[in-house]
Amino acid sequence: MLIKAGVLLTGLMLISIAALPGHADVKHGRTTPKEPIDKSTLLQITGQIAGSTVNLDREALYALPPTTLVTSTVVTDGQHTFTGFLMRDLLEQLAAEGDHVTAVALNDYAVDIPMADFYDFDVIVAYRMDDQTLSRDDKGPLWIVYPRDDHEALQDIRYDYRWVWQLYQLDVQ
Amino acid sequence: MRRVGNTIFGVILPLVAVLVFAVLLTFSLMRMFEVESAMRVEAEKNMLWVLHQSEVAALRLSATAMLAELGKAGADDVSLRFDILASRVALLNDGPQRRFIEKIGFDDDLDRLSDAMVEMAPTAAHFSPGDAPRLRAALAPFSRFFGRAANAAMIAEWDDLGGRLETYRAQLRQIIAFLIGIMVAGGILALTLVLALRQTRQRNHMLRRERDFSALLISSSGEGILAVDHAGRCTLWNGAMAEMVGKPAKQAVGRALTEVAGFFDISTVRRGVAQALDGETSQQTLQPLFQQGRDAPLHVDLRFFPLRDDGVILGAIVFIYDASDRHTAQQQDAADRDRLEELVVERTRDLDSALQREKSAADLYRNFAAMVSHQFRTPLAVADSALQRLIRRGTRAAPDEVAERAGRARSAIAGLTRLVESTLDAARLDAGQLGARRVKCDLGDIAEVVSARQREATPERKIMIQYAITEHYSVLCDPTHAEQVLENLLSNAVKYAPPDTPVSVILHGNAQHASCDVHNAGAPIAEEDREHLFERNYRGASSVGIAGTGIGLFMARTLARMQGGEVTLQPFSEGVTFRMTLPRFGRE
Repeated sequence: MLIKAGVLLTGLMLISIAALPGHADVKHGRTTPKEPIDKSTLLQITGQIAGSTVNLDREALYALPPTTLVTSTVVTDGQHTFTGFLMRDLLEQLAAEGDHVTAVALNDYAVDIPMADFYDFDVIVAYRMDDQTLSRDDKGPLWIVYPRDDHEALQDIRYDYRWVWQLYQLDVQ
Repeated sequence: MRRVGNTIFGVILPLVAVLVFAVLLTFSLMRMFEVESAMRVEAEKNMLWVLHQSEVAALRLSATAMLAELGKAGADDVSLRFDILASRVALLNDGPQRRFIEKIGFDDDLDRLSDAMVEMAPTAAHFSPGDAPRLRAALAPFSRFFGRAANAAMIAEWDDLGGRLETYRAQLRQIIAFLIGIMVAGGILALTLVLALRQTRQRNHMLRRERDFSALLISSSGEGILAVDHAGRCTLWNGAMAEMVGKPAKQAVGRALTEVAGFFDISTVRRGVAQALDGETSQQTLQPLFQQGRDAPLHVDLRFFPLRDDGVILGAIVFIYDASDRHTAQQQDAADRDRLEELVVERTRDLDSALQREKSAADLYRNFAAMVSHQFRTPLAVADSALQRLIRRGTRAAPDEVAERAGRARSAIAGLTRLVESTLDAARLDAGQLGARRVKCDLGDIAEVVSARQREATPERKIMIQYAITEHYSVLCDPTHAEQVLENLLSNAVKYAPPDTPVSVILHGNAQHASCDVHNAGAPIAEEDREHLFERNYRGASSVGIAGTGIGLFMARTLARMQGGEVTLQPFSEGVTFRMTLPRFGRE
């Protein structure tokens, strides 16, 4: 019980550090310089994939096998139905190879997610919540959603910070 | 007192310890579950970070508006930054975040900012550089709000964290106390366990000693002891048993008793065992127990008892005692008793015969007077008349006549003398004074002498002597006795023969014996008399009216037997034939 309390404190401290402004850029220093993205692009994938950079528009993302997931989240009340595609489907389609994926949000929030997460759990990139397309002035256009209610292991703050919303870039390392 | 102490230490203390142990463990577990679940739930709020991000979004929108005013950023950039800020405000208005803001008392401010966002939305959507000052002015309260809210959030979260940690510490302290209690209770339990184990070991030791002692008792018992279960299988077989039956315990234990030895298959023994198994005690005495390789059986006493434990019959126990000595003593006693009885019978017989003899003697003497008056009268009369005639004749008597008459008188006197002799002989015989002096004699001579004497006594009777063989009839005998026997037989024959019939004396013999038969043509002796003829003082039916003592034949047989001979009445002969048999000289 003491140990668990310790873990909790460490977790809180990590989040505090990550909360520093411009943290992602400064800490990693490897975020690919932003290329001009045309307005229709929703998601840009860079790093160890087939082709150096891939820009995907809404149509391309909708073409991926759609998956539905019902779960609660830490920032909302009640359960929600999320629709999107499995992260591993996307990565496999792009022949991504690496240990982790750095997910970057529109506000430059960046998090390293281990590649194993996408294979251990049905992690989806959602574009719709409760039959409403996610918009940019809410959590959209894309939100990484974990099946939190299906796995007790995911009900942990160390997974909660991997739920990147307003996602626009994935860097496979 | 000690017993009460034992109860407290042995039963109550461990029970209390177990109870305390269980209660404390339950409370500790409950506390731990509480802590665990509190950590899980409380860990999800991170409002400081949310507010910081929101502030950054507001600042960047403001900065982008400024850049747009300077022509260094486009309307799209402003729109993007506005959307990001809008998403932050939306986030703050969402469930958990909204409740936190309400808790720290910033909900009114947030509502105003949300309204401001709605007002700004058209401007941001259709942004022109001229809108920038207005936009920046509208954004001014945002930074202040987020800063103050972050401040309050920090304080609230730290208060919350501090409070939570305090709760955890209190709970952990409780748990520690519980654990100490559990340890103490566990210690007490361990102690009682050790004590109980020691006690158990001591009891086991005592039990073992008692068992060893019991086994020793059973094996040392001189009495055979065996036990059987309900199936009739032997479960116990001691050394004495093995010795008696001749089979060691190894061959007996575990096997059916009836198979161990035939003795246990005897119906009486089987019944004893069966009764004991039914709860009945019984005993049997002096049962013969044949052992392998031994001729004479042991004689044993058996006692059968049911083997009970708390009223339940587990089997039967049989005690077997070797009572052979007692049996032998009993046998000896019986034999002694038999011999004693025999002796008594013999003595009684002797006494009877002595009594009989006494009685005979008494009879003899009682009869003596009668006999004297009867037997002696005739010879006396003969002698008297002969002498009277002599006196009457006086000198006229011729010398021949004198000699003849004197001879007759003497002969009568001689007869009287013999009569007295025979009476005395009978008395001597009774007194055991009569002995035999056996010498070599000729039976023919004896027969001649006796016949001549008889002819002289009864000249009118014809007496014939026949010799079946011509050789000498030399026999071993006392001649006086032999003469007396033959005299007796001959005088009887003369006495009982019908008048004018001859009496024959026939001599014959074989290698061992010489015999002398005395035969007359008298009426056959009645069957019922034959048996008693040789008894003392017996007088048969035919002797009525004839003088006699009833002692003659008894004397004759007794005298003949004294010399190794015999006197018999020959059966199946015409008339009556008595036979005297004497051993041949050198053949006895």
